[in-house]
Amino acid sequence: MTDTATRRSEPSHARTRARIRSAGGRRSAFLLVIVSMLLIIGLGAMLSASSVVSISSSADSDQFRLFTKQVLWVGLGLSALVIAAYVPYGLWRRIALPVYVAVVAGLILTVFIGDVRGGAARWIVVGPITIQVAEFAKFATLSLLAALLTKKRDLLGDFRHVVIPVGALLGIVAILLLAQPDFGNMLLIVVPAFIVLAASTVPLRFVFGIGALGTLGMTALAMSAEYRKARLLSFLNPFDYAQGSGLQAVQSMVALGTGGFFGVGLGQSRARWSWLPNAHTDFIFAIIGEETGFAGAIIVVTLFAMLASVGVSIAYRAPDMYGRLLAIGIVSWLSIQALVNIGGVVAVLPITGVPLPFISSGGNAMLVNLFAIGVLLNIARARGVESES
Amino acid sequence: MNTRIWNRGDLRLLIVGLAFIVAWVGIGYRLFDLQGAQAAELAGVGYDQRIRTQEIDPPRGTIYDRDGVELAMTIDGWNVVADPQMIDDPVAAALVLAPFTTKEATALATELQEAQDSGSRYSEIAGRIRVSEKNAIEAAVDEADIGGIFYRKQPLRVYPAGSVAAQVIGLTRYDDGMGVEGLEWTFNSELQGREGQLIVERDPYGRVIPQGETRLRPATAGSNIVTTIDREIQFAAEQELQQRVEETSAKGGSIVVVAPKTGEVLAMASWPGLDLNDRSQGTPEALRNRAVADIYEPGSTLKAVTIAAAIEEGIVTRDTKIDTPGSVTVGQFEYEDHGSNPPSMSVADVVKRSSNVGTIEIERRLGRDLHYEYLTDFGLGAPSGLDVAGERHGKLDPPSKWTVTSGSSIAIGYAVGTTALQMAAVYATIANDGIWTEPYLVSEIHQANGNRILTKPRTRRVLSSETAATMRWMLGRVVEEEGTGRRARMTDYTAGGKTGTSQKFDSEAGIYTEDTYASFIGMAPLNDPEVVVVVVLDTPVGELEDGTDLSLGGAAAAPVFAKIAQTALHQLGVAPDRN
Repeated sequence: MTDTATRRSEPSHARTRARIRSAGGRRSAFLLVIVSMLLIIGLGAMLSASSVVSISSSADSDQFRLFTKQVLWVGLGLSALVIAAYVPYGLWRRIALPVYVAVVAGLILTVFIGDVRGGAARWIVVGPITIQVAEFAKFATLSLLAALLTKKRDLLGDFRHVVIPVGALLGIVAILLLAQPDFGNMLLIVVPAFIVLAASTVPLRFVFGIGALGTLGMTALAMSAEYRKARLLSFLNPFDYAQGSGLQAVQSMVALGTGGFFGVGLGQSRARWSWLPNAHTDFIFAIIGEETGFAGAIIVVTLFAMLASVGVSIAYRAPDMYGRLLAIGIVSWLSIQALVNIGGVVAVLPITGVPLPFISSGGNAMLVNLFAIGVLLNIARARGVESES
Repeated sequence: MNTRIWNRGDLRLLIVGLAFIVAWVGIGYRLFDLQGAQAAELAGVGYDQRIRTQEIDPPRGTIYDRDGVELAMTIDGWNVVADPQMIDDPVAAALVLAPFTTKEATALATELQEAQDSGSRYSEIAGRIRVSEKNAIEAAVDEADIGGIFYRKQPLRVYPAGSVAAQVIGLTRYDDGMGVEGLEWTFNSELQGREGQLIVERDPYGRVIPQGETRLRPATAGSNIVTTIDREIQFAAEQELQQRVEETSAKGGSIVVVAPKTGEVLAMASWPGLDLNDRSQGTPEALRNRAVADIYEPGSTLKAVTIAAAIEEGIVTRDTKIDTPGSVTVGQFEYEDHGSNPPSMSVADVVKRSSNVGTIEIERRLGRDLHYEYLTDFGLGAPSGLDVAGERHGKLDPPSKWTVTSGSSIAIGYAVGTTALQMAAVYATIANDGIWTEPYLVSEIHQANGNRILTKPRTRRVLSSETAATMRWMLGRVVEEEGTGRRARMTDYTAGGKTGTSQKFDSEAGIYTEDTYASFIGMAPLNDPEVVVVVVLDTPVGELEDGTDLSLGGAAAAPVFAKIAQTALHQLGVAPDRN
């Protein structure tokens, strides 16, 4: 017997409400604790990992420059979290299409006027603010996908009503991201979207068909660009390319190995001294593993695993289909991003250059990730009834 | 209807959730593998790439004379280098800097310009200079406001005594400070000490990681070396040698002063010489220590060995009459005496008048095996044992290789090659009551840990005390009024010695030429000698006022002996024994 079934068949509203509130409250509290712990660990790791880069990149050798910035973004993100937690998530369903259109416009803008760094135009610079539209595109795309599937709930077996709109929805964003190019974030939208489909009631033949096509497309794409091919080859034998494309993978593993079981101690990382490039962004997990050892690293892994469990459980108990699909979308997105990042750090996945949610340096991602957690909290605490639409 | 769809969705949702958990467990397992099983190996890779070993050069030891005065020492020098990329105008910079360097302004400007164009960040302006020179450059650079000039400390080897004992001390190599000549070379391993190490962790750009581990193994300073050289005697020997070489237009010469009772080399001079502080003078010719590196035929000075051996063996006494016709033929070769001698002389007169014919007769009575035994006992044909760069064995064939004339030739100092130092040891044996003592230049090595290693020279008795005394008496007669060595007489001390004049052999033409090695070896005071002095001049020419040929040892070398022996004895505080 599921809770949902019981809930619907029980007429005793007061008792049910209390139970719902307390169950949703427990999951919300749990989710908040997990995210808070990740934020604290992240700030601690940032303090160490970013100091060397801060000293060499700031005019007055301020070792706290990047850390201070990160604290600011966490504050901003927590505000977004609180707001999202109190805005009924139904709103996101109603404005899903305009938001998506705005994001697509932003992505087009990025392609044309984006600030080019390291050969890719991924950022729009407006005065002191740098906007990475791709981060916002994750939420917008997954929200519209959830809204679309909810709308077509009775036509999910129909190819025209499902595969074509879903293909268009994802295709536009994917193409615009590849134009930057930003292969990593494209993956972080397409793969969670596929998981949403897999977790929905869309017929499995469509799911597998899309999955097979997607895998084929990704492989072709990965092999098409020289640098992605090099990354893939060096991923298979990083030590053969230790001075070139395998450098980060090797240095990352070296950092983890140096940490051993209990780490070299907080602030004692050697890898951050330019041995491991991007130590405070894409490879911050390696610094955590070096300074706190397996003991610390496994805590982060456990927190992400718990985030996935709580997220899935929130989706499972979501009061309506949109809430459920949006929740599983958010959970998939954050989980896949964490898995891809840490998978790269431990060298079981190729390096894609995506930040670790709640931990890596990066303002846009922090803001959007915490906002998404706010939405998740709202879904967890919602009392809405499925039949209302 | 709704319920059925939801249930199917529930299952798929749960599978997705489970998939995430499985993925995280997989990551956890990989972490466990990397940070457990593979940790040591990976940490090793990291350690190896971070760790840098920096060598710390120990200060090189000092070389002292016998009184503790520095002959060679290391001070803080400076290296002036430029970062060509930081120099705005290479020509202007070169004009300011060139006067302080060995380079022309145009050459320096070209050098800097080329370095700048090639993207180089390093160009040496001046190396191993003294602080005064560095200060002068710094002042000029500051005044002209030239950027990109840097100063680094660098050890500088200096020779406070300049040219004194230059060939004995030798030189160190400019770039790495290793000894390459003289004592600097022979005792290089003692002088240079043991390199230290600073082990630090560095980032890929070579900067030290602040919280990395640091290990220091301090350098061990080089040992100090105390030589037996007496600076005053050495200086006098060099002055007199240089003067005499110039007076006689000789090609060069060498002087050795030995304390016969100890084997200490008090002075060892060689001309041409050089100032060690001026590297441009460091030619092989000037750096060659002729007293040990040049082999010459000692001529009549070697007669002392033959005669001492014959007396020691009881074959002759000092009064034994020896027939001395004007010449004697051995095999195909005719040996002659210089000047006119009576038909027979005592052994003592054979020495006094340096009769070749008489000495050859004594050698004949002695026999080649005994002759050879004494030659080797006196230390000929083998290195003296003194550790000086370039010391040679000399040339002495074993009797099995002797021809019919070998014994006769060797008796009068031909067909044998010796160094001045070897001959000093021969006469020191006579001076030291018959005990041969290995000559040495380094008396003590003072190690950084306080240990002192004292030199203990080898000794062996070659002659009885009586034979040695007889030999000294006979050598004393050589410097008497009618003796060949009369010009070796001193005002304050009695002396004895032997002249030597050997014609130089032209190995290309295969004949003896008119050129000579003119030498005198003597000792003083005669009854209890404190010094033995060897003077060798290479090809002196000219005549004295009385018409004496300056190519003879008695004319060219004997007066030098007198001056040096007297100076040395005064310096050593030996009481005058004459008048």
